[in-house]
Amino acid sequence: METRALGDTGQESTVLTFGSIALNWLEQEGANQLVELVLDHGVNHFDVAPTYGDAELKLGPKLRQYRDDIFLGCKTQEREYEGAARKIDRSLDRLGIDTIDLYQIHGLEYEDELDTITADGGALDAIREAKDDGKIDHIGLTSHGNPELILDAIDRIDDLETVMFPLNPVVAGKDGDEYDYEAVLERCEAEGIGTLGIKAFAKGSWPSTDELAEADRPYANWYEPVDTPEVIRERFDFAAAQSLDTVVSPGDPKLVAMVLDAASRSTGMGEARQRALIEEARHNDSPVPEQLHH
Amino acid sequence: MDVPETVTAALADRQVEGQVCLEAGAGVGNATAGLLAAGAERVYAVTDDADHAATVRERVGDGNADRLVVLEADLRATPLATDSVDFVTAHGLCNVLPPADLTPIAAELTRVAKPDGHLVVDDYAVPPADAAVNRLFALENTAARMVDGRPALTFYPPAMLAAVFVDYGWTVERKKTLLDPVPWTEAHLDAHAEVVRGYAARLPDSLGEPLTAMADDLVAAIGSERTGTMYSLAFRLADG
Repeated sequence: METRALGDTGQESTVLTFGSIALNWLEQEGANQLVELVLDHGVNHFDVAPTYGDAELKLGPKLRQYRDDIFLGCKTQEREYEGAARKIDRSLDRLGIDTIDLYQIHGLEYEDELDTITADGGALDAIREAKDDGKIDHIGLTSHGNPELILDAIDRIDDLETVMFPLNPVVAGKDGDEYDYEAVLERCEAEGIGTLGIKAFAKGSWPSTDELAEADRPYANWYEPVDTPEVIRERFDFAAAQSLDTVVSPGDPKLVAMVLDAASRSTGMGEARQRALIEEARHNDSPVPEQLHH
Repeated sequence: MDVPETVTAALADRQVEGQVCLEAGAGVGNATAGLLAAGAERVYAVTDDADHAATVRERVGDGNADRLVVLEADLRATPLATDSVDFVTAHGLCNVLPPADLTPIAAELTRVAKPDGHLVVDDYAVPPADAAVNRLFALENTAARMVDGRPALTFYPPAMLAAVFVDYGWTVERKKTLLDPVPWTEAHLDAHAEVVRGYAARLPDSLGEPLTAMADDLVAAIGSERTGTMYSLAFRLADG
């Protein structure tokens, strides 16, 4: 599988990162098998979080077995020092390892969170302290939020080395500032910050719970995923063509094998085809007016 | 509004900022939106369709009052002065022109362009023979011919449209593929069926009703299709 430099971290990550939340839905034996399958495809970058149920615990055994082959990202939703320091130790403990390669501020959504994180006694103090103590190697950020907030975080966190954010043809076709992840990509490229893409395989929101109860959803993802081999290949190729360093696999284990296959066989995607996917998504999504042309 | 990727790609390597522009056949204002977003000094959005003119004003008029002029005019004879426009776009225009209008419109666009003006022509290549959308496009042409004796759609190979403008003194600067494949979505097919319905309404029921029924059946049968390509030609007008 193709590898790309993860910004200036020195890490060469496979173009697919394994979203280890998928392990949460499996028993330990199945989790072990899935990790073996992922490693068989050459994937060397894994991502996990303490909020993903038992994923850390279930990743533990195989992670320890193959520790040198896996660059591990983990995260915290804590915004203050105490909570973040505790979460780092807890994750190390649950994973059963000494060092997390990339530790990310998880799910940044609001400006005031950024204030808290960067203030004295904020989560960043704990993360930097952990870095000094050798518990983590690199500092990152994840966000589904406003691209401007991510740019702001890049400005305010000097030692930020990676960011993770959504990118797919639906998002790419929207012009508003609230969808301008292109600007984030450009800034990251200019500053040597690594980029990880999420929601590459999102088809749309689930129907309302009135229409489809949460318990009746066929996938564990919090959005409705694309789920056929052709569309998964197309979505992977699209995301990988957006100059992301790596694309995170979807959270449902049933989709992972198809995504591994797509990433292994990827040969890139030309610009005219990328535009075709964006235009298709835009028109499928479009309110009015109906148009003859593209 | 979101500027279509096709427009963004067609304009990406062109000088638009500070230019006086003309969107020939404004439709719903796709290229107009792209030109304004790219910093055009002024955009004349020209269309002979009152509904389209209203749509353009509604979609891109806000906040652009000082830069946008929507003109309802015949593209064969616009009210624009000779040598007054830096940059002309014909985005998805030529395929909906009556073929006989193609050269008079090329002549008019050449007249209003400055001697060192630029032009972008974006259109669809002839769809592949086995494309299902051909059946809907053929029905659209049948309906149009029955009503006013000319086709609704004509797809030109890029070399042909290039030759039309070269005849008026333009030089091709580049050719680019905008879409490959072209995603004909349900919304696009509905819009084409709506054209058939429009013609059918102008025919006696005995002719119009079967046309409408066939259009509806085709839309249902095709659903959506990815086929063919959309291309972009960029020209400059030779000095003198």
